[in-house]
Amino acid sequence: MGSMRMTFLLYRAAVRGEMQYRLNFVMLLALGLVYQGSGIAFVWTVLRTFDTIAGWNFGELAFLYSLRLMAHAVWVVPFHQLVSMDTTIREGRFDRYLVRPLNPFLQIITSRFRMNVIGDVMAAVILFTIAVNLVDIDFSPLSVAYLVLAVVGGALAEGAAAVVVSSLSFRSVQTWAASQLVDNIYLMFGSYPTRVFGGALTWGLTWVLPVAVVAYIPSSVLLDKTDSLHLSAPAAVAAPLIGVLWFGAAYKWWRVRMRGYQSVGA
Amino acid sequence: MPTLIRAEGLTKYYRRPRRYEGAFGGLRTLITRQYDEVRAVDGVDFTVSDGELVGYLGPNGAGKSTTIKMMTGVLVPTGGLIEVDGTAPWRDREKNAMHIGVVFGQRSQLWWDLPLVDSFTLLGKMYRMSEADYRRRLDGFIDLLDLGPFLDRPVRQLSLGQRMRGDLAAAMLHEPSILYLDEPTIGLDAVARDRMRDFIAEMNRESGTTIVLTTHDLVDVEALCNRVVFIDKGRVLYDGSVVDLKATYAPHRTLVVQLASGFTAARAAELLGPEVPGDVIADEGPTLRIRFEANRISAQEIISAVTSRCPVTDLSLVEPELEDVMRTLYGNRTIAV
Repeated sequence: MGSMRMTFLLYRAAVRGEMQYRLNFVMLLALGLVYQGSGIAFVWTVLRTFDTIAGWNFGELAFLYSLRLMAHAVWVVPFHQLVSMDTTIREGRFDRYLVRPLNPFLQIITSRFRMNVIGDVMAAVILFTIAVNLVDIDFSPLSVAYLVLAVVGGALAEGAAAVVVSSLSFRSVQTWAASQLVDNIYLMFGSYPTRVFGGALTWGLTWVLPVAVVAYIPSSVLLDKTDSLHLSAPAAVAAPLIGVLWFGAAYKWWRVRMRGYQSVGA
Repeated sequence: MPTLIRAEGLTKYYRRPRRYEGAFGGLRTLITRQYDEVRAVDGVDFTVSDGELVGYLGPNGAGKSTTIKMMTGVLVPTGGLIEVDGTAPWRDREKNAMHIGVVFGQRSQLWWDLPLVDSFTLLGKMYRMSEADYRRRLDGFIDLLDLGPFLDRPVRQLSLGQRMRGDLAAAMLHEPSILYLDEPTIGLDAVARDRMRDFIAEMNRESGTTIVLTTHDLVDVEALCNRVVFIDKGRVLYDGSVVDLKATYAPHRTLVVQLASGFTAARAAELLGPEVPGDVIADEGPTLRIRFEANRISAQEIISAVTSRCPVTDLSLVEPELEDVMRTLYGNRTIAV
């Protein structure tokens, strides 16, 4: 796979480029940790106040929250540059990607590496390690495999939304606010048992925007709580696949939109 | 020579969603069905043969860059035909990309924060060059463009001239059969420009690389191109040799005469009278300008006519510039339409 190797080389170059600015590197790392850490501290406080939320105890909620963070980290490390695709287009750099013999999507995501995402990863790993010790999960090979699948599916579910948002910049629209919105929707609605938001919203967060499939549904499966879900147990088990399908469709859509790219200048 | 690039009735209309200002303007822009249409390229025909070096000229906004972007596969044409080496660049984008090199003068393709050589390494891999080919080509460019002194310096620390040399090498590394240069000399000093021109000429002559060049600098064109295509408002106005272009649209040269002290231009004009074919423009003071048609009278005749009648301290000859050609071309177009 030539493209895969090339993608790896470009990521490595991006990281090396970023390392040139050492102070910035350290600051961004700290920023990432503080940002995610403050989120966790907030949740900690909220969770400490209640014994259970929608039938989920403290440990289970922490597990759900950390699973969301894991999926987010797996999405954000390779793909975060999509967020600045509108800038890439506005500054005319996208033209260059189109005259090279490599998929422009891969060139976009490897164009820079922002070190604050390492903070996201560290926060996710730390909280997940703590949360796993608070819940009672039997880690059989099957459930570990499912966990991995769930994290990847969740990452792709969030990624799908970001890919669709980034495709709007082909229409020369600034998408920074929209991508922040998506980010926040996943953070706000994806980190808790979706059921607490009511029936209509739960339905929407499952079938319109794939938010519940990121962490709520998979952690229900892993914690054996599927009987209180809004969908059947087999459907819940298949939830990670929804993320995969969404991402596939979103990427197709992105390619179609790319045909309409009009460049800048005249 | 076989045809390498063919454009027939090539057209590009930009459709931009109408922009709205004020509160929720962004949202309205996003969902609007109203479009503003701009005809950037409006039915362009031309061909470029293998091994040619063609200047693609026109004022700002004439549609030059848009045409280049369609030739390189960046833009999908609205209509007409564009074919490069037998394929439509926008349909077989990556295949086309393997055989072309592109330099956008105002935008570098080099990795900003990394040593220059790293950009070459990455591109060598991206174009799937063998280690031996890569080494041979890179060594050649290090010699030819004198890249050695700054090969290990981060690109952001290079001067514009150095960066452009790096960009040229980057565009030519994979031995493309066609090189597109979009204003490659913009912003460069005289020495850097010369060096750039020498390199471009050499690539065309020695390696037989077909080159399409856009520029606003007539010196570039005269030094490099045997043929120019001139466009304005998305249409071809002229397609032919540079010599014919200038003879047709800017036939005038100007002789600038510095007279000896005490001798005014007005007096010189009087002395010359109607014998000198050409417009005599007498400034205040000792400078006299004579504008004449180069194909009616030789510079030699005019100079001897002047020096035989007036005391002269200095002479210089001003050649027509691209601006003159442009002005004439616009003038004709307005009349033609």
